[in-house]
Amino acid sequence: MSRTARSSGLSICPRCHKLNPAVSGRHRCSRCHAYFYQRKPRSIEYTIAWTIAALVMFIPANMLPIMVVTTLGETEASTILEGIAKFITLGMYPVAVIVFIASFIVPLAKILGLVILVMGVRGGEGLKSKQRTRLYFLVEFLGPWSMLDVFVVTLMAAVVKLGFLTSIEAGTGITYFTLMVIFTMFAAESFDPRLLWDNKYRIPNRNE
Amino acid sequence: MSIFTESSGQVLACPRCDTLAYAPRVKEGQKVLCHCCGSKIMAFKKNSIERTLALTVAGLIVALPAIFMPIIGVGFVGFYHQASLFDSILELFDRGYLLIALAVFLFTAAIPLIKLSGAFYLTWSIKRKRPKPALMKFFRSYHHLDSWAMLHVFVLGVVVSMYKLVDIADLSIGYGFTAFVFLQLCSTLVTVTLDHHYIWHYLERHVDE
Repeated sequence: MSRTARSSGLSICPRCHKLNPAVSGRHRCSRCHAYFYQRKPRSIEYTIAWTIAALVMFIPANMLPIMVVTTLGETEASTILEGIAKFITLGMYPVAVIVFIASFIVPLAKILGLVILVMGVRGGEGLKSKQRTRLYFLVEFLGPWSMLDVFVVTLMAAVVKLGFLTSIEAGTGITYFTLMVIFTMFAAESFDPRLLWDNKYRIPNRNE
Repeated sequence: MSIFTESSGQVLACPRCDTLAYAPRVKEGQKVLCHCCGSKIMAFKKNSIERTLALTVAGLIVALPAIFMPIIGVGFVGFYHQASLFDSILELFDRGYLLIALAVFLFTAAIPLIKLSGAFYLTWSIKRKRPKPALMKFFRSYHHLDSWAMLHVFVLGVVVSMYKLVDIADLSIGYGFTAFVFLQLCSTLVTVTLDHHYIWHYLERHVDE
């Protein structure tokens, strides 16, 4: 079994990665003088809370229009999925796929990933700790990509201002969409991946 | 830059899985991976300070045009309109989407700029051998800046917008877009070249509080 900082009475500073002797409660790093705990306090609780918040936001984000297009006095509001459907009818498949992945699959995958990770801390069946750590990497990496649609709407709303011919405005959906993305990022940041390795199912390393 | 060869025998811990390991002797360009979970523990980067300094200067030069120059413009039977990143944020603000305006401003303009100027100040002070205690405080929060800068997503957003607009109207690409792509490149490369481990070692040795 490989030794961990915790089992050796050490604690790693999350800011500068210096090893410090561990005491219970709050430490002060000897190098960067930041305060920290051996494990993020209440990591699981915060992760669950932010994930639920993100899941709740996912509903209005997809129900409400994110873009309102006015062409010659006619107003047409479209949600995220309607926007993607329009791409498909226009035959722009690559963009449809990119937008569908970034704004629909990725947020759901992140929320699902966080749920798997939170369950994984309890140990037991399913993925190995190493695979779970990879999953955490992925959730962290995917974080900002769902902002894609928000940026698209932001730019379109500013650039398409052609008098009475056509104009684009942002819809109320993007507020909820942005909140959802921010909440999933907070959830990922609250999670402490070391918890995945702390449980008694820790897999011994073969090289030792 | 012989810190790592001197400090061999020092113990490292993986920030992802908490496993302890002795720091191996690493040469420039090599990195240390955790033997337990495979995460990167540290990387000894080549000419980290000089490269980061150069990239931050380049990034700061293109930052203002990237934010204030028009990114794309559309024209349709005599009407023409173009917008920069700054215009887009103002437009959201005018329409009452304060939260989104703030989020877009932070993720695409403020945080990348703070990151670049911070990295510039940091590498400049180390190059001039005059590190200040304030640097440590700043560098402590630096990794948060990295995860909240979303320039790469914005660039893809511009490309998707172009696809959407190319059918409706005559599309023109402004200088702002070129500048923005360069800004994004510089910002990503700074993440690649900045050697956190080296900087922490340096600050530890040279900053007296």
